[in-house]
Amino acid sequence: MKKTTPTSLDHRTLSGSLNRSDKAAELYAALLDTADTGSLAISQDGAICHWNRWMQNRSDLAPHQVLGKQLVDVFPETKLGRVSQAIEDCLKFGMPAVISPSLNQGALPLKPLPQFAASFDRMEQSIRIHPIKTSNNGTLCSLTIRDVTLAVQRDRLLRQQAAELADLVTQTRRSEGRTRAILQNTIDAILVASDDGNIEPLNARAQELCGPEGDPELRNIIRFLLPDSEHITPSPPPKDRLLTDLGTGVIEVLACTSSGRNIPLEVAISHFSADERYHYIITLRDISQRKRHEMEIQRTMAELERSNSELEQFAYAASHDLQEPLRMVSSYTQLIARRYEGQLDDTADEFIHYAVDGTQRMQRMIDDLLTLSRVGRHGKPFHAVSLQALFDALVTNFKRAGSAPEGNIIREGTLPTITGDASQLLLLFQNLVSNGLKYSDPEDGKVQVFAKETPNSYRVFVADNGIGIEEQYHETIFEVFKRLHGYGDYAGTGIGLAICKKIVDRHGGSLVVTSTPGEGSTFCVEFPKQLPIVAASESM
Amino acid sequence: MIDLTELEHDTISELINIGVGRAASSLSEMVEQPVELTVPRITFVERFSDTDLAKAPTEIVSAVSQTFDGPFKGEAMLVFPEERSLELVRSLLKVDVPLEALTDLEQEALMEVGNIILNACLGSISNVLGEPINCSMPSFRKRESRSLLDQDDASSQTGKKPVLMILHVQFMLRQNDIDGYVLFVMDLDSIQMLRELVRRFLANSLG
Repeated sequence: MKKTTPTSLDHRTLSGSLNRSDKAAELYAALLDTADTGSLAISQDGAICHWNRWMQNRSDLAPHQVLGKQLVDVFPETKLGRVSQAIEDCLKFGMPAVISPSLNQGALPLKPLPQFAASFDRMEQSIRIHPIKTSNNGTLCSLTIRDVTLAVQRDRLLRQQAAELADLVTQTRRSEGRTRAILQNTIDAILVASDDGNIEPLNARAQELCGPEGDPELRNIIRFLLPDSEHITPSPPPKDRLLTDLGTGVIEVLACTSSGRNIPLEVAISHFSADERYHYIITLRDISQRKRHEMEIQRTMAELERSNSELEQFAYAASHDLQEPLRMVSSYTQLIARRYEGQLDDTADEFIHYAVDGTQRMQRMIDDLLTLSRVGRHGKPFHAVSLQALFDALVTNFKRAGSAPEGNIIREGTLPTITGDASQLLLLFQNLVSNGLKYSDPEDGKVQVFAKETPNSYRVFVADNGIGIEEQYHETIFEVFKRLHGYGDYAGTGIGLAICKKIVDRHGGSLVVTSTPGEGSTFCVEFPKQLPIVAASESM
Repeated sequence: MIDLTELEHDTISELINIGVGRAASSLSEMVEQPVELTVPRITFVERFSDTDLAKAPTEIVSAVSQTFDGPFKGEAMLVFPEERSLELVRSLLKVDVPLEALTDLEQEALMEVGNIILNACLGSISNVLGEPINCSMPSFRKRESRSLLDQDDASSQTGKKPVLMILHVQFMLRQNDIDGYVLFVMDLDSIQMLRELVRRFLANSLG
């Protein structure tokens, strides 16, 4: 191998003369073999002259397989590469070299430790090339190789995580931007209040309302509306700034902006906890438009109520006042009939009969009109009414009047209990049932009554097997004085269904008919389970 | 004082350019992308404060340094403002996600780049002038530019005032140019020796 005769221990060791008997040389050789770095030396002629145990382990090449050979013969791929170049420069010019793992991946074909084998084909190496002067003025080239696979792995991981973090930041920014845009472009003003009473406008609209151009009082009003906090007791705002009573759930306040515009606002308050603190989200919605509509509706309602009551007044007065002269006419025609019947000629008897009949019909019509006008005017307060009991009474009434054959009013199932005016409900169903019987075969006429429950209402059906109603009249039959048949065919004033309709209306329900001409009609009364506000207020 | 004739100046430039050219081709091969290296100008100054680097004294610079010893001795350094050094390494390593500072591996890569360039320059001079130069392993420094030349061990600072040969180097890669400096810090004796060797070389080759 190396034929130099080194004079220093260093050289002896590095020149690879391992078989010397010199104790120091053995010691150094042993030290190099136990080192956790690769160490190899190349002599002036390019032959490998030292190969420590580490090199043997990582290359699977024993010293006897490599010593004396050129590096390119051992590792052909290093030819013309950075390592060969650096070795050449070292031997020729004495230049040291750093060979980094980043710029030279796996510079030498050494295997990684087993734990890295999955992700690394090769050991990542950091190599130092150093010239060593020998005593005879020659140059040796020493290579020190460190395994930096772990560092490279860490570096990769770091980069990967940095990339993920960068992605995350980008994503977060994007979603933040989106959220901000949504918040900013929301029409409602949104503010957040923390439990220390600090109120922060979150979007442009909130800024506008609470800013210098807005209402300076608004923050105080909001503070007042927030649930009590132990830190602060806000003073109540001026009365005219709260448009609604507290406690109704809907809070409306009036914002008076510096520009002199008054804006009614609906306030919604929700809350969340963050950082172990309570926060309130306050949403202010401009309800100017709605307020205008509400006022419009209120005005129309008042107008309607007024004209309605006028109408009822008129109907009542008219029918009431008509009764007086009618009674006169009726009494005297009946007197004439009783006293002069059979004393004049046949024609006179016939005329008298018509006159009496006419006044009787007129009397019934006026009675019905009075009933109709009373539905609105003289309604009784609403109570729970068992329709079951109501129909019991109804059947008894019919039986007593003898106006219906036994068993022709058939009840199917149980009828519900609803809220309403008992006497009006009796009138309603009495009308419907008698209508059903009236337009049926007197011998075989049947009326079926049954109920169905829906999530929000009860439906009560009154079905007959009578002559039926053509579809074109399904709406108009509920109008006053509407008759589909001549008086001679079916008796009645044409007010019955109008009364029914009015009663159902008062109860907030609906009345519809389905019918097939010749087979029968079914009237459906629907009572809502929850009374609408109008009906409820009227029922008080 | 350094008084070089134009011919001597050109000769040194030429030697440096040969070396730098070699370094560029080595780098190109290693990073598998074209790397061009040019030395647009070489200047000699007597004080560090006369250099361009001293114009921004508090700027953090990264430097790869190798001391050399031979007929003339001193320290050779590749110096970049830190930003530029990051740019250079990442451009060479094709890193997509830059971290805020050089990682250990990036720093070692920069050391290798410095080593290749400095070796090439020194090797070229040594080779052509026929005088062997001993170089140390490169070491890495990061500090404010004003204290760039401060020695880590105070003892070696005693003695002669340094003279600087400044090479302005320009890397051209991946469509961007990265400017840095190569500094040769020598004492007056060494620079005289260098000039002497250059003269001798010129005499031989011309004569």
